[in-house]
Amino acid sequence: MTDHPDGAALLDEARRTLLEILLPLLPPERRYDGLMVANAMAIAAREAAQGDAALREAVQQLSALFPAASSGEDPRAHLRELEARLAGEIRAGLCDAPGVRRDAVRDYLRRSVIARARVSNPKALP
Amino acid sequence: MTIDLAADEAVQERLCRFVAAAAGARRATIGSFAPLRGGAIQENWSVDIELEGGASAGRHALVLRTDAASRVAASHGRAEEFALLTLARAAGVAVPEPLWLCSDPAVIGRAFYLMRRVPGVAAGHRIVKDLSLGGPRDALAERLGRELARIHAVTPETGARLVPDQSFDFLTPASANPGLDRIRLYRRYLDDLGGPHPALEWGLRWLERNSRPSREIVLIHEDFRTGNYLVDGQGLTAILDWEFAAWGDPMSDVGWFCAKCWRFGAVDREAGGIAARAPFYRGYEAASGRRIDPTAVHYGEIAAHVRWAVIALQQAARHLSGAQRSLELALTGRIVPELELEILSLIDAAEGRAA
Repeated sequence: MTDHPDGAALLDEARRTLLEILLPLLPPERRYDGLMVANAMAIAAREAAQGDAALREAVQQLSALFPAASSGEDPRAHLRELEARLAGEIRAGLCDAPGVRRDAVRDYLRRSVIARARVSNPKALP
Repeated sequence: MTIDLAADEAVQERLCRFVAAAAGARRATIGSFAPLRGGAIQENWSVDIELEGGASAGRHALVLRTDAASRVAASHGRAEEFALLTLARAAGVAVPEPLWLCSDPAVIGRAFYLMRRVPGVAAGHRIVKDLSLGGPRDALAERLGRELARIHAVTPETGARLVPDQSFDFLTPASANPGLDRIRLYRRYLDDLGGPHPALEWGLRWLERNSRPSREIVLIHEDFRTGNYLVDGQGLTAILDWEFAAWGDPMSDVGWFCAKCWRFGAVDREAGGIAARAPFYRGYEAASGRRIDPTAVHYGEIAAHVRWAVIALQQAARHLSGAQRSLELALTGRIVPELELEILSLIDAAEGRAA
């Protein structure tokens, strides 16, 4: 159980307080620091709100590329292991040949990068 | 920790003695000493110095540039940067006049040099938004193209002639394919950082498969972009930040300048967020006599995003390791996904696929 407001909602409210109440009080040379704090809070809030959904989706999609891989207990460690295998295959040139596998890898990379950009900077999304 | 040079009287006294000796003056006095906002790698200080006696007697508006607490791999130290400024000035590039280099750490604690202070604004987000800066934008882009051409006119042979008493051995000799050397280096960096980074590997592999030997090897700035030049109300006043300069392929600087990650949000103005590519290319081609090769520039833009992503990971790692705790460095780690997204899109475009 989580008490309410939850972590993401608290960060949102703290950020609003920073931007609307505190930022105007900062001397001009500290304004950039204030904006960086607000940005960090926004990223953390989006990450908290997202939960594990993106992680589970990534594991599922990558498991299809590496069907023989054993599923680990911890999904985060499992994803890391699968991505390390993928990174190694790409570097070794094993995903060069046009075809189904290259398309699947390309599709995975695009989806996972978009999911991470959605957290770190949604404005950068097409 | 950063040393507060402005607050340390003993340091300032030693600095005055150094400057007086270097300038052949009887006495040097500091009028003002204030930090300038700089990059994550060096510290810049605005210093006013009054010289008494000697050929340079009078008041001098200067910038003191020194290493910050920690450095990014592959960046030159201050002595090398001083030599590069000297070379660029001899080649007719608009740079601040380098005056005195001090490699003795006993003076202020680290190597530093002094250069003449050039008026202007460098902050990329301001230049992109504030049209009262930099003069007419097409003219600014064209001028930047001409300045880049002057840099690229320097070769290992002409460099030695331009500044005969200076060795440039610190610039690693370029191989026939500097792009491949870079790929090897970035893979090593990624391995050191721990990963995995499959999207960056995708980019590196594409760069490897599509690399071509360079047709010519010239002096490249390696950080020629909006944010690293100064403008005033009329136009360009100086090209800054020479710590990454190298021998390499000229089109890599063109790609770096045009890369989306250096347009400061003005993504439709493809030349550094200030103008279309045409005036920048026009200035470059007119002054260099070299044709811009769009395929090589596209390659350079992919390489630019890969390089910036690797540097961003290194900067975040400096924060994470505790070597330099900084919110700015920490947040830099979070720009990696948008850089990777652009790498994927540029590769799709090169392969004729819609994103």
